[in-house]
Amino acid sequence: MAKQSSQEIFTLGVWSDNPVFRQLIGICSALAVTNSLTNSMIMGIGLTFVTALSSFTISAIRQFTPKHIRMMVQVLIIAAYVIMVDIFLKAYLPEFSKTLGAYVGLIITNCIIMGRAEAFAQKNRPIASFLDGVANGIGYTVVLLFIAFFRELMGFGTLFGFQILGDWWTSWTIMIMPPSAFFLLAIVIWITHNIQDKKKSEVAKQ
Amino acid sequence: MKKTFWYPIVFMSILTAIFTFILAFLDVSTADKVAANQKFDLQSKILYVFDIPLSDTSVEGVDKLFNEKISQDEEIFIYKEGSSIEGYAFPVAGSGLWGSIEAYVGISEDYTTLLGLTFITQTETPGLGGRIEEEEFLSQFRGLDVSQALEGGYVVYNPAPGGNVDAIAGATLTSKSVANFMNEDIHMFISERKGE
Repeated sequence: MAKQSSQEIFTLGVWSDNPVFRQLIGICSALAVTNSLTNSMIMGIGLTFVTALSSFTISAIRQFTPKHIRMMVQVLIIAAYVIMVDIFLKAYLPEFSKTLGAYVGLIITNCIIMGRAEAFAQKNRPIASFLDGVANGIGYTVVLLFIAFFRELMGFGTLFGFQILGDWWTSWTIMIMPPSAFFLLAIVIWITHNIQDKKKSEVAKQ
Repeated sequence: MKKTFWYPIVFMSILTAIFTFILAFLDVSTADKVAANQKFDLQSKILYVFDIPLSDTSVEGVDKLFNEKISQDEEIFIYKEGSSIEGYAFPVAGSGLWGSIEAYVGISEDYTTLLGLTFITQTETPGLGGRIEEEEFLSQFRGLDVSQALEGGYVVYNPAPGGNVDAIAGATLTSKSVANFMNEDIHMFISERKGE
């Protein structure tokens, strides 16, 4: 793989190869936590932290890791970082630890981290892998926040817990329930693919 | 060297040891903080069940008030004002729609009135079943007269005959299971106590 500049890494992770709407991974958690902006934010930060650091570590020891046990090594490293996030939340943000408890543990199984470890960190230098992790984490967070914005606003009439819409607004119960995340995610994928395909065809024409 | 039999084993063992050490260190260094958070959470909730007003919401203030008014007998918290017992708080638990729910119920010393209700853990749908944690629902259990309750029906939703509490609209299953396990556990607590 050719060496990529950090700018390319960021464009790929956040937009043109975004983990959620382009690679279609990490969706399970995107569906689960997006009924509140605050939860999505914490989840996004947690995932960015874990992806960046585990990619960094995996890349740093890639030359010493025997190929056939690399998955075991990756899972060990990822799990260790996830537990760190969990401990941190429990100690310093107990309120969020309560609402996000189960999902934080599930970061381990988030395909984005494994995906980046296999697709990028295994073949690139530590710093580039770290940036790639951050970029993908941001790409994930942006999509989560976008979906959560609509779900929380329409489902509760609030944003980040603050009342935005008045009494005249009838909350859409469906927006709080998991199915609405499917609709919204599908719409996000639809819109972004349209934009990206248009650009591609313009490039092709030239 | 990487192809040898022992290399992967040694490599994995060393890596595991390093990470285990880091995690153990973090866990130990935050253990006090985590325990303090949990204690504070439980204390505030027990005080809430007995409707004891918090003049000072800091960790020390809650701890002081708690130690002054409340003593613990195994799972049951006893609320004393001076030397006279005002009420008991006991754990109730059952399964909700998604997962198990744990709560504490406060009852007056003569077992005729519920003092309050608070949830310790619940994983119901936010905005629907999750609203059992909101004041609007919880406040209905303050001073709820249960002396006339028939056949273990301490908590009955309106508009059923004898109804004394409003269920949460749109969260029928959560409301139902909360009433069910509350009735069961309250009944058990009262009959055990009276039988003593």
